[in-house]
Amino acid sequence: MSATAQTIEKLISQEYKQGFVTDLETDTIPPGLSEDVIRIISAKKDEPDWMLQWRLEAYRHWLTMTDPRWAYVDYARIDYQSISYYSAPKQKEGPKSLDEVDPKVLETYNKLGIPIYEQEFLAGVAVDAVFDSVSVATTFKDKLKEAGVIFCSMSEAIREHPELVKQYLGSVVPTGDNFFAALNAAVFSDGSFVFIPKGVRCPMELSTYFRINAANTGQFERTLIIAEEGSHVSYLEGCTAPMRDENQLHAAVVELVALDNAQIKYSTVQNWYPGDEEGKGGIYNFVTKRGECRGVNSKISWTQVETGSAITWKYPSCVLKGDNSIGEFYSVALTNHRQQADTGTKMIHIGKNTRSTIISKGISAGKAQNSYRGLVKVLKSAENARNHTQCDSLLIGDRCGAHTFPYIEVKQPSAVVEHEATTSKISEDQLFFCQQRGLSAEDAVSMIVNGFCKEVFKELPMEFAVEAQALLGISLEGSVG
Amino acid sequence: MSATSYIERYQSIANELPGYNLPWLNAVRQLASGSFEATGFPSPREEEWKYTNVTALEKKLFAPSSISTPSTIDKEWLETHVLADTWTLVMVDGYFDSKLSDLVGLTDKVIATGIAEALQSHPDRVKALLGTTLEKESHGFLAFNTAYFSDGAFIEIPANVKLQKPLQILHISTRNEALANTRSLVGLGRNAEAKLIETFIGLPNISYLTAAVTEIHLAENAVLDHYKLQVETDKAYHFGGVYVKQDKTSHFYQHNLSFGGLLARNEIHAELATAAECEMNGLFLAKNRQHVDNHTLIHHVEPHGISRETYRGVLADRARGVFQGRIVVHPQAQKTSAEMNNRNLLLSEDAEIDAKPQLEILADDVKCSHGVAVGQLAAESIFYLVSRGVDRETAKNMLTFAFANEMVEKIGLDSLRNKVQDHLLNIFPQTGIRRDWL
Repeated sequence: MSATAQTIEKLISQEYKQGFVTDLETDTIPPGLSEDVIRIISAKKDEPDWMLQWRLEAYRHWLTMTDPRWAYVDYARIDYQSISYYSAPKQKEGPKSLDEVDPKVLETYNKLGIPIYEQEFLAGVAVDAVFDSVSVATTFKDKLKEAGVIFCSMSEAIREHPELVKQYLGSVVPTGDNFFAALNAAVFSDGSFVFIPKGVRCPMELSTYFRINAANTGQFERTLIIAEEGSHVSYLEGCTAPMRDENQLHAAVVELVALDNAQIKYSTVQNWYPGDEEGKGGIYNFVTKRGECRGVNSKISWTQVETGSAITWKYPSCVLKGDNSIGEFYSVALTNHRQQADTGTKMIHIGKNTRSTIISKGISAGKAQNSYRGLVKVLKSAENARNHTQCDSLLIGDRCGAHTFPYIEVKQPSAVVEHEATTSKISEDQLFFCQQRGLSAEDAVSMIVNGFCKEVFKELPMEFAVEAQALLGISLEGSVG
Repeated sequence: MSATSYIERYQSIANELPGYNLPWLNAVRQLASGSFEATGFPSPREEEWKYTNVTALEKKLFAPSSISTPSTIDKEWLETHVLADTWTLVMVDGYFDSKLSDLVGLTDKVIATGIAEALQSHPDRVKALLGTTLEKESHGFLAFNTAYFSDGAFIEIPANVKLQKPLQILHISTRNEALANTRSLVGLGRNAEAKLIETFIGLPNISYLTAAVTEIHLAENAVLDHYKLQVETDKAYHFGGVYVKQDKTSHFYQHNLSFGGLLARNEIHAELATAAECEMNGLFLAKNRQHVDNHTLIHHVEPHGISRETYRGVLADRARGVFQGRIVVHPQAQKTSAEMNNRNLLLSEDAEIDAKPQLEILADDVKCSHGVAVGQLAAESIFYLVSRGVDRETAKNMLTFAFANEMVEKIGLDSLRNKVQDHLLNIFPQTGIRRDWL
C-alpha cells in the first residue's frame, strides 16, 4: 500500500499548469460596487438604456438578499466592496480582426492551447475567448453566419440583436433567482451569445474559453443559448485562472432555451485555479446554470468535469416544460487538497413523458469535501415522467469527505423515479488485481478512476475529450494516486 | 409567537410536573423552556422540517391534561390494543396509570414504572439517563418535551438480564383537544436483552397532540428490538422521537409502523459506537389528507459499525409522505457499512412523496449506499392477476398489500405481526385471502 501512498503524494503535489499571469495593460475600474459602478460598466459597454435599467433592478434586488449558506462549503464572508467588477485588456477600439488583438492575449491563449487562429484548426471549433471581463475574439464567425448561426459576445449581441436578447435574457434565470444570479445580472461584463435558427444544425462545435487574469477582479459572465425549433447545437466551455494567494470570485449565469425538437448539449471543463495545498487562494466558482426545454421533444444535456476552483457551488438544471422533453446531467467532480465542491442538478418535470438522467461521479481526495446535491421534482402535470439518478463517490485518503443530498419530490403517481448512490474507496482487490498483472500502482489507480468516470467522459464531445483526459492526467490521477 | 401560550399554560401547572422539587431537573427544564420560547415549534424553514409544517399546533392550542382528573377507559376497548403475552405500561393522556398496567411476574431486578414515580424512588438513575441521547439534537419539539414532559415510562434492565416477555408501552389519548407530552427512558445494561413495543392510540374521533420522546441507552452487547406502532386517530397530531445511543457491539432493531394521525412525524435517531449494529425498518401508509414524515438519522462515530435501513411508503388519496434519512460517517468510523433503501408507492393523482436520503461521509474505508424509488404498481402484475379472473380493484389491493407486507414480515413478534397484517387487510380488502396463509 505504501507504493500507492507515495503515488498519491506525488500526484497530489502536481502543480497547476495554467497558473501563469499575463502581464498586460488593463482597463480596470476600482474595487467597489454601487449603482454608479453599474452605470460605468454599462456605459463602457455602450449599452442601451433598457439594459442599464435591467441591471439596476437586479442590483436593487440583490441588496435585499443574503448569500446562501446552506451548501456544504465553508468560507469567510466575501467583501463585495473589495472586488473590482470590470477589467479588460486595454485596446483602442474593439478588435476588428484577430490581428488587432493584443499579441500578449493571443499568446496567453496559445499557451493554454486554445486555438484562436482559425487556420491552426483542424477539427473546426468556433471559439469565443473571454479574457477577464470581455470577449477578446470570436472565431469562425463568417462560416457560422452562412448557416444563420449567431455566435458572438454578449455585449455585441446586446448591440446587434437587442430584440433577441430582450426576449430571452433572464427568462430562464430571472434577475432575482438567487444571490449570485442577481449579482451577476447587475454587473455581468460579457459572455457568449448563441442563436441557432429554426431547423439548423450548427455546423461546428461552439466553444467559449474563460480566462481570469487580472488580480482582485471578479469575473461575471453571462451566457445565453437559444435553439429554435428543430435546431441542434453543441457548446463547450473551459476556464482557467492564474495562481494567486487571494480568492477570486467567479459568478456566472448560463441560460439555455430549447424550443420544439431542439437539442442543446452543453459541456464544461472547469479548471479554475483551485488554491494551493493549504487552501490558500483559488477561485470561488458560484455559478447558476439552467436550461429550459420549452418545446416538445426538446433535449438539454449538461456534461461537466469540475476539477478546479477552491469552492464550487453549481447546479446545472433542466426545466422540462415541453412534453417528451429530455434532461441529462453528467458530472465528474474532483476535489483535492482543501477544495470544496457542492454541485449537482435540478430536474423539474412539468411536461408529459419527460425523462431525465443524472449520472454524478464525485472524487474526493486530500482534505477536500465533495457533495452532490440534487433535486428531482415531478409536478402533477408530468404524467409518465421518468428519472434515473446514479451518484457515486470515491474517497481517497482518510481526511476527505463525500456527501450526498438528494431531494426527491413526486406528485404524479405514474412517474417512476429512481435514485441510487454509493460511496466507497478504491478497493484493495481491484488494485491488487491490476498490480498483480504488472500495472504500476499509479496506472492501476488511474485506470480504476478512469473506469469510474467513464460513463461521464463518454458524453463529452471528441474535441473536449482530449482536454478532459489531459486534466485527468493532472488532477484526477494526481489526486487519486 | 404563540408558543408563548403553551408556555403560559404549562407555567400554571408547573407544580404538577414530575420532579418539580428537584433542582437539577428544574434547571434542565428551565433551559429547555427558554430555548422553546426562543424558537417555538419547528418551522418549514428549518432544513430538517422542510416538508412538514406544524403551524396548526400553534393555532389549535392543545391543552395539557391534568393528573387530578383521570379518565375512565373502557377495558374491552383497551384489551384490543394490548398485545398478548406482554408486560404492559399504560400511559393515559401523558400520565402513567399503574392500575391499567400489568407487570405481574417481572423480575425485581428490572425497574419498569412511570418516570414520575422513578423520580421519587430512583432520582439518580433518572438523572443518569435523562438527556444523554439528545446531545446532538435540537429542535422545538425536543425543547418543548424536555421542558414540560408530564410523565413517561422508565425502564432499566440491568446487565445480563434477558426479558422473558416483551414489554409494551401503551400511549392512550382520551380527551379531545388535549395534549400528552411524555418522556420515556430505557436503559439496557451489558448483555441485557429485551423487546419493547410502543403503541400509540386514541379514543375514536378525537383530535389531540402526542409529543413522545423516548431515549434509549444500550450498553455493550445489549440487544433491543424496538417496535413503534403508531395508530393514532385520523384527527390526531403526533410527534414521536426515538433517540438511541449504542455502546460497542450492541444491537438495535427498530420497526417503525406509522399508519395513523392527521399529521405525524416520526424521528428515529441512533448513534453507533464500535461494531454496533442498527437496523431500521419502516412502513408508512397514509390516505385522505394524512401527512406522515419519517426522519431517520444514524451517526457512525466509531469504526466497524453496521446499519441497515429499509423504509417503504404507500400514499393514497391526497396524502403526503416524507422520508428523510441521513447517515453520517464520522472521520474515525472506518470500516463502516451503511445501507439505506426507500421505496414508495403512489396510488393516487393527488398523493405526494418527498424523499431526502442523505449520506455524509468523512471516512474513506467505508461501504455506504442508498437507494430511493418512487413508482406505481406494475401494469404487468395487475394484468397477470386480472387475466386470471381477479377483479382490478382486488388485484391492486393484493399487490399493494404484498408490497407493504414485505416489511411486516420482518416483524419478529407474532402477536404484533398478526395485528399489523389485520390492519393492512382492512385498508386493502381482498376477497379470497386466507388468514392462515400469511
